[in-house]
Amino acid sequence: MVDVSQHELVPEHTVLEEEALEDVLEEYNIDRTDLPKIKRNDPALPDEAEIGDVIKIVRDSRTTDQSIVYRLVVE
Amino acid sequence: MQDTTPKDIGSLSFGLMEPEEYREMSATKIITADTYDDDGFPIDMGLMDPRLGVIDPGLECKTCGKHSGSCNGHFGHIELAAPVIHVGFTKLIRRLLRGTCRECSKLLLTEDERDEFRDQLDESRKLSRDLNDVTKAAIRQARKKDRCPFCGEIQYDIDHEKPTTYYEVQQVLTSEYSQRIAGAMQGDEEEGVERTTPDELAEQTEIELTRVNEILSGSFRPRESQRKAIEKALDIDLTEEDTNKLMPSDIRDWFENIPDEDIEVLGINPERSRPEWMILTVLPVPPVTARPSITLDNGQRSEDDLTHKLVDIIRINQRFMENREAGAPQLIIEDLWELLQYHVTTFMDNEISGTPPARHRSGRPLKTLSQRLKGKEGRFRGSLSGKRVNFSARTVISPDPTLSLNEVGVPDRVAKEMTQTMNVTERNVQDARRFVSNGPEGHPGANYVRRPDGRRLKVTEKNCEQLAEKVEAGWEVNRHLIDGDIVIFNRQPSLHRMSIMAHEVVVMPYKTFRLNTVVCPPYNADFDGDEMNMHALQNEEARAEARVLMRVQEQMLSPRFGENIIGAIQDHISGMYLLTHDNPRFNETQALDLLRATRIDELPEPSGIDDEGTPFWTGYDVFSELLPDDLDLEFTGTIGDEVIIEDGQLLQGTIAEDEVGEFGGEIVDTITKVYGNTRARIFVNEVSTLAMRAIMHFGFSIGIDDETIPEEAQSRIDETIADANDRVEELIEAYERGELESLPGRTIDETLEMKIMQTLSRARDNAGNIADEHFQDDNPAVVMANSGARGSMLNLTQMAGAVGQQAVRGERINRGYEDRTLSHYEPNDLSAEAHGFVENSYTSGLTPREFFFHAMGGREGLVDTAVRTSKSGYLQRRLINALSELETQYDGTVRDTSDTIVQFEFGEDGTSPVKVSSDDDNDIDVEHIADRVLDSEFESAEERQEFLGSKPRPTNLSEHADDRLAEGTEVTSDD
Repeated sequence: MVDVSQHELVPEHTVLEEEALEDVLEEYNIDRTDLPKIKRNDPALPDEAEIGDVIKIVRDSRTTDQSIVYRLVVE
Repeated sequence: MQDTTPKDIGSLSFGLMEPEEYREMSATKIITADTYDDDGFPIDMGLMDPRLGVIDPGLECKTCGKHSGSCNGHFGHIELAAPVIHVGFTKLIRRLLRGTCRECSKLLLTEDERDEFRDQLDESRKLSRDLNDVTKAAIRQARKKDRCPFCGEIQYDIDHEKPTTYYEVQQVLTSEYSQRIAGAMQGDEEEGVERTTPDELAEQTEIELTRVNEILSGSFRPRESQRKAIEKALDIDLTEEDTNKLMPSDIRDWFENIPDEDIEVLGINPERSRPEWMILTVLPVPPVTARPSITLDNGQRSEDDLTHKLVDIIRINQRFMENREAGAPQLIIEDLWELLQYHVTTFMDNEISGTPPARHRSGRPLKTLSQRLKGKEGRFRGSLSGKRVNFSARTVISPDPTLSLNEVGVPDRVAKEMTQTMNVTERNVQDARRFVSNGPEGHPGANYVRRPDGRRLKVTEKNCEQLAEKVEAGWEVNRHLIDGDIVIFNRQPSLHRMSIMAHEVVVMPYKTFRLNTVVCPPYNADFDGDEMNMHALQNEEARAEARVLMRVQEQMLSPRFGENIIGAIQDHISGMYLLTHDNPRFNETQALDLLRATRIDELPEPSGIDDEGTPFWTGYDVFSELLPDDLDLEFTGTIGDEVIIEDGQLLQGTIAEDEVGEFGGEIVDTITKVYGNTRARIFVNEVSTLAMRAIMHFGFSIGIDDETIPEEAQSRIDETIADANDRVEELIEAYERGELESLPGRTIDETLEMKIMQTLSRARDNAGNIADEHFQDDNPAVVMANSGARGSMLNLTQMAGAVGQQAVRGERINRGYEDRTLSHYEPNDLSAEAHGFVENSYTSGLTPREFFFHAMGGREGLVDTAVRTSKSGYLQRRLINALSELETQYDGTVRDTSDTIVQFEFGEDGTSPVKVSSDDDNDIDVEHIADRVLDSEFESAEERQEFLGSKPRPTNLSEHADDRLAEGTEVTSDD
C-alpha cells in the first residue's frame, strides 16, 4: 500500500502539543472547535492522532516560504 | 423619527408561537368576512377593522393612536373551528409521528439511546455541524422499533400524502383469508407444490383441526399468532393494508403528550416551541398595512390577494361551525375540514405540489405569504438585498479618447439632475451663492438648499436670486455635479471588482456617458449600444474612499493575475506598431504633432540629420519621451524580437500588444509596479494619445482588396484543395475496400473521420500559407494580426485562402437527412464536400451549400455562448452566496459569521496578488527589490535624506494635483 502521507506533495502533519495548542488558541482568541476540521480517517494524518487532537500543517508557500495551518481532528 | 440611534441586536431566537400568544398580540378577533359596509367604512371585527392599523392618510389608528406611516399595523386573529396543519411543518410533523409512540407519545428510543443522541447533538452544535444529520439518525432508529419500549404498544407505519394528510398504515387480516388459504392448500402441480390437507395444516401450525376447519369455512377469524403460523406453513400473505386517516386534532392530541426531554433530542427547544403548536387552532391575521387595498380610478376598491384568501378562510370557518352545530353528518364535516385546511395551506403557500393553486377571479394564481418572500422578486432577494437607489443615472456609452482614463464624460442634463451636498462654510460661501444663483437650469447650479433649522427649500428659476443672498455658513446646498467630482461607474454584469470603479466627472453636452477606450477591458464594454450606470456619492467619507480605493488608476492591476488589466487596445496597438516597427523618421512638425496631446512640449535632441540637412526624430525617440527617465527593461516582445529599454530610452524592439497592451503589457505593468499607479495612468493616457496621432499620421484602413490574392496564388490554392479532395477520395476508397488500418483505440470509422479531418485541416493551412506569402508586411490585416491589435492569421487565412472544415460537436457535419447531410448528395457520401468542408474563402464567397454548413457551425457557437453565460451566472451566484459571509479580520485571519476560522492568514500567505505578483516561473525578485532600495539609500547623503521622506509625496487624489508631477521629479510609488 502506498503511504500517502509520505508523498512529496503532502505537507507535514504533526500533532500539536497541549501547551503549544494553548498558545495558538490564545493567539487567535478561539475555542478549539472554531478551528478548521480534518477527518480522523484522512490518510495524511499521523497514526497517533486521535479525535480531539489539533494537527499542525506546515505547507511550502511560494510567497511566504511556509504557511502554517491548524486543524481539529474529528471523527 | 427622532429616535434613530442605532441599537445593537443582542440576540435573535426562532421558535413556534403558542396559540395563546397569537390571541395576546391580536388587536381584535375577526369574525366577519366582509371588509367595508355600504358607506365605505370598515366593518368592526371584519378583515379591515380599524384596530388592525391605518392605511388611509389622515385617519388615526384605533389601537395605537398613530397616523398612517408611523403605525406599523397590528395583528388580528381568527379562531379556527377545527385545528389545521401548518404546511411549513409537514415534514417535521411526519418525522415526529414516525418517531413517537402512538399511545404514550414518548420517543421510541430507550433512555440510553436517547441520551446518546442528545450527546451527539451537543457535539454537533459545538462543531457547528448540521444538526439534521443527528436528528434524522435518531428518527431512523426510532422508526425501527415495532413496539414502544415504554408502554409496549405496537407501532404502525405513517404514510404522508402531500401536502397535509397523514395515515396510519396497519396490516390486518384480509377479508378473503379463507379463499387464500384454500387456494394455497390446493398446491400447484406445475411448480411442484404439493397439496396440503387440513390435517397436515393443523399439525404444522399446531392449531386444532376443528379450528382449522372453522377457519377454512370462514366462520372463525384466525388470531394474529394463528395467522402467522398459517402464513409460514403455506408461504402466503394473509394481510392487507388498512389505512386510518389521522385528523389534525388527533395529531395535536398525540403531540401534546410528547415529553419535553424527548423533543430536545430532535433538535427542538421545548421552552420555545412545542410540537402541538405546529397544528394551528388560531390563525393570525396580518395587519392591513401588510395587505393594503387600493382604490381604482372608478372608485371601486380592489383588495390584496391576502385579504381575498382570508375571506375564503373565514367563510369556510363559519360554514364549518354552523354545520357542526347543526349536527351535520361526519362526511360533510370532513369535507369542510379539508376545505379549511386547503385555504389555510394556500394562504401560507400557494405553490405546493399536489394542490391546485388558489386563483383570482381572473384565473391568475394568488400571491400569498410564501410567494411574497421567495425568489428573485421576493422580499429577501428583491427588496432587502437589492434596492433601488437615488442619485443614479443610466445611459448609452460612447468613446472619447481625449478624456483621461480616470474621467467620465457626464451629459449636462444628468449633471443638473444629480447633486452633491455642499456644507456651506465661510470659505466656500461665495461658491455656494454662485451655484444657488444659477438656479436649477443653469449649469453649475443647485436644486435644493437646507437651512440650518432643517427646512429644505427647492431652488427655482424664480427664487434663486433671492435665495442666493440668504445662503450663509451652516446651510447645505445641493449643487449640480461639476468637473472633478467623483462618481461611481458600473457596467453589468458586475463579475469582478473592476466592474465598478470611481471616475472623475467631466460635464459635457449631448446624451451619452463618454469614457476613454482604455477602460473598456475592465468593464468589458464596447460601444454597440452598451449602457452603463453612474452613482453620485452622497457623503464625504464615501467620496474619500472612492477616490483612494476605487479610482480607475487604483484598479490598474487585476487581482486575478497580478498584472495590468488596463492598457492600449486595438488601434492604439496598431498605432504603436506603426510608430516603432520600422523605426520611421519624423520631421520636427510631425514629431511635435505626434506628441501634442502629451505633457511633452519640447522635443529632445534630434535623433539625427538626414541627407537634406533637416533634423529628424525616430519613432523610438518619440515613444521614449513617454517613458520614465530611469526605466530599464529587457524582454521578448510581441513579434518575437528582443525589446530593450535603457534609462528610459527604447533602443530596440517593436512596441505592440505584449509591451503596452491590456492583460499584462510588460511596460505598463512594470511602470505600475515600480513607479506607481499615478505614473502608470499618465503613461497609458499618453500612449493612447500618441498611438492615435501615429495611426492618423500613417493612415490605417482595411478593405476587401487587402484580402484578395493574385490569380496565380488562387490557382495554387485551388490545386492544394483539389489535391486534398483527391486524398480524401483515396482514403474513402481504401476504407470501402476494407484496407484502411484502424488507429490504436479507434474504430475504422473513427480512423477514417480523423484522417479526413487531418487531411482537410492541412489543406486549409496550406491554402492559408500560400495566401500569406502574397501579403506584404504592411498589409493592414497583417499589421493587426502581428501586433496583436485584432484578429489572427487564421482569420486572414479564412478570408484569403479557404474557410475550411465546418464542425458541429467537434465532428464533421453529419446531421440532416437519413445517411446524408443534404438532399444534394448521394446517401453515405463521405466526401469532404458532403460533410461541410468549405473550399472557398470569405472573399471569393461561399456556395449555397457551403453557406448552409457554415451557418450550422456558426449556430453552435451562438448556442454555446448563450448556454455558457447562463451557467456561469448561476455558478457565480452560488459561489458568492457561499463566500459572502467570510471576512478578513484585523488579525489577518479569514472567518465566517460564527467566528470559526476559514484561513489562518488571508489566502494562506497574507499577500495580495496585486502587491506581490509572482507566478510559477517568477518567484518574487527580492534581491532586485533590495538592490533598488539600497541604491536609492546610499548614493549620497542628500538622496538618503530624500529617502527618509522630507520630500512631499505626490498625491494620487486628483488629476488637478498633477502639476506637482513634473517630469524629472522622482515619482515614488504611492502604494
